[in-house]
Amino acid sequence: MTAVLTPPSTAHRPAVRAGAAGPATLVGLEVRKSLSTRSGRSLAVAAALLPPAGAALASAVSEDPLLAVASPLAMMGMLTALVLLALGVLSTAGEWTHRTVQTTFLLTPQRGRVLAAKAASVALLGAGLAAVSAATSAAVLAVFEPTAAWDGVGRVLAVAVVSGAAFAVTGAGIGAAVANAPAALTGTYLVVLGVLPVVQAFRPEITERLDPTAAVLRLAETGSGATPALVLTGWVVVATVAGAVVTRRRAVA
Amino acid sequence: MIEVSGLTKQYGERTVVADVSFTLEPGTVTGFLGPNGAGKTTTMRMMTGLVPATSGTALVDGRPYPELPNPGAVVGTLLDASAVHPGRTGRTHLRLLAAAIGVPADRVDEVLDLVGLADAGRRRVGGYSLGMRQRLGIAGALLADPPVLVFDEPANGLDPEGIRWMRDLLREHAARGGTVLLSSHLLGEVEHTVDRLLVIGGGRVVADGSVTELLGADGTVVRAERPADLRSLLEARGHAVTAEPDGRLTVAGATPAQVGAVAASAGLALVDLRPAQHGLEDLFLQLTAAA
Repeated sequence: MTAVLTPPSTAHRPAVRAGAAGPATLVGLEVRKSLSTRSGRSLAVAAALLPPAGAALASAVSEDPLLAVASPLAMMGMLTALVLLALGVLSTAGEWTHRTVQTTFLLTPQRGRVLAAKAASVALLGAGLAAVSAATSAAVLAVFEPTAAWDGVGRVLAVAVVSGAAFAVTGAGIGAAVANAPAALTGTYLVVLGVLPVVQAFRPEITERLDPTAAVLRLAETGSGATPALVLTGWVVVATVAGAVVTRRRAVA
Repeated sequence: MIEVSGLTKQYGERTVVADVSFTLEPGTVTGFLGPNGAGKTTTMRMMTGLVPATSGTALVDGRPYPELPNPGAVVGTLLDASAVHPGRTGRTHLRLLAAAIGVPADRVDEVLDLVGLADAGRRRVGGYSLGMRQRLGIAGALLADPPVLVFDEPANGLDPEGIRWMRDLLREHAARGGTVLLSSHLLGEVEHTVDRLLVIGGGRVVADGSVTELLGADGTVVRAERPADLRSLLEARGHAVTAEPDGRLTVAGATPAQVGAVAASAGLALVDLRPAQHGLEDLFLQLTAAA
C-alpha cells in the first residue's frame, strides 16, 4: 500500500486522564468491545430476534391454538440464554484467542478489575437483550395467539431477564477459565446440550441439581424452588471464580 | 526512568531470563539486541506485568508497571502487532484504546494520520499487511504521547520509508526527553537509531554500553598505492600490521593521524585512511555466541 507518513511531530501532548479508568468507564468499554465485532453483533441480534422469530414460525405452522403463553415464553427465554452464553464466552476467551488480552492488561493491569467489568458488561447486555427478546416474543404471541391465557407471564419475563444475565456471566467466567474461544464454546455446549440430557435420561435426580437450562424452565414455570435458583447461582459463582483464578495466574505470552 | 534489577524468569528447571539488570535514562534510545529465544520479549513482558517474574523487579518511575495509575499514559508499548481483533477496523481498535487510556477520541485520527493509516482506518485489521499492523501498533502506543516507549521488533514488515520514519520518530522522542527501549533483529537499523546497546544472549545481558564504546575504534585501516612499502615502514616504527588480501592494512593500536604521519614522512600516497571498527554484526555474533 502507499502510505503518506507524517513527520513525527509532537507539538502538543493530548489531554490524558490522570488516574485509572473508573468502573463505569471499564464496563462501557467492555460493552463496546463486545459489540464492535461481527461475531458479537451477530450474537446480540440472534439473542434478541431468534426467539421471537421462532415463536412466530411455531405459531404460524401450528394447527392447534396455544392454550397458554407462559410455557412457550419460558422456552424462548431459555433459547435466548443459551445464545447469551456464547456472547459471554467470546467476551473473555475471544480476547485470549485474538491476543487482544495483551493490550487490555497493558492498559488495565489489575486483572480482577477487568474481569469484574467484563462480568458486569455481559450481565447488562444479557439482561437487556433477554428483555428485548422476551418482550418481542410476548408481542408475537399476542398477535398470533389471541386466545391464549397470559397467566404467569410477568414471572416468566422476569426469569428470562435474570437467566439471560446469569448465562452471559457464566459464559464470561468459562471463557476466562478456558482462554480459548472454540474450546470454551464447544465444551460448554457439549456439557449443557449433550452430557446433561444424557445424564437426565438415566439419573434425573443428578441433573436436577446441575442442569442450568432445566433450572430456568422450572423457575419460569413455577416461580419458586430453592434448587433451581441455587443451580443458576452455582454456575455463575463457580464459573466466575474459576475464571478469576486462572486469569490472575496466567502469563500473557 | 526505568530500572530493571535482577529480573529472572524460570519455567520449571529452565531459566529463560537470568538476573537481567539495566537502567534506561530519559533522553536515550536503547537497543535491546539478541538472537531468537535470547529472552528479549520475556524481559519486556515481565517489565510490563504481562508475565510474572520469578524474581527481580522492574520499576517505571519508581513503581512496578501494574501499580501505575494509568499505564498507557506513561508507557507506550508495542509488543505484538498481531494482537488486534481482525474483525475490528483500525479506527475502532484505536478508539477502544483511547477510551481505556482516557484521551479524546479525536486523537485517534491524529495518530492514524501520523502513521500513514488515515485512509485505511475504516478497513478491518484482518485485511492489513504486517507493516500496516506495525504502524497501527505504533499509533496505539503514541495515543497518549507517553514519556516511555517500549517497542518489540517494530521494524518487522515496515518498508524502507517506514523504517526511516520510525527511526526519526524514536530519535525525536528521545530528543524531547523521552525514554525508548527498542528490540530488533535488524542490526543495521538499531545501529543508526540507538544511543546505547543492551545485548542479551542465553537470557543474560552480555554487553551494555554506548554504541561508540561497543563499536569503538581499535586501530586504523589504511590503503596505500605501495602497501608493501608502507607496511615495512610501519613495522619499522614498531606498529603491528595485518595485511588483508585486498591490500588493506590494519594497524593495531594506532590512530589515523599517527599512520598518516608515518606515510607522509616517506612520501607514500594513501587512498584510504580511517579508524578500524567492529562491525555491529560481528560484535553481536561474538557476544551472543559466547553466552
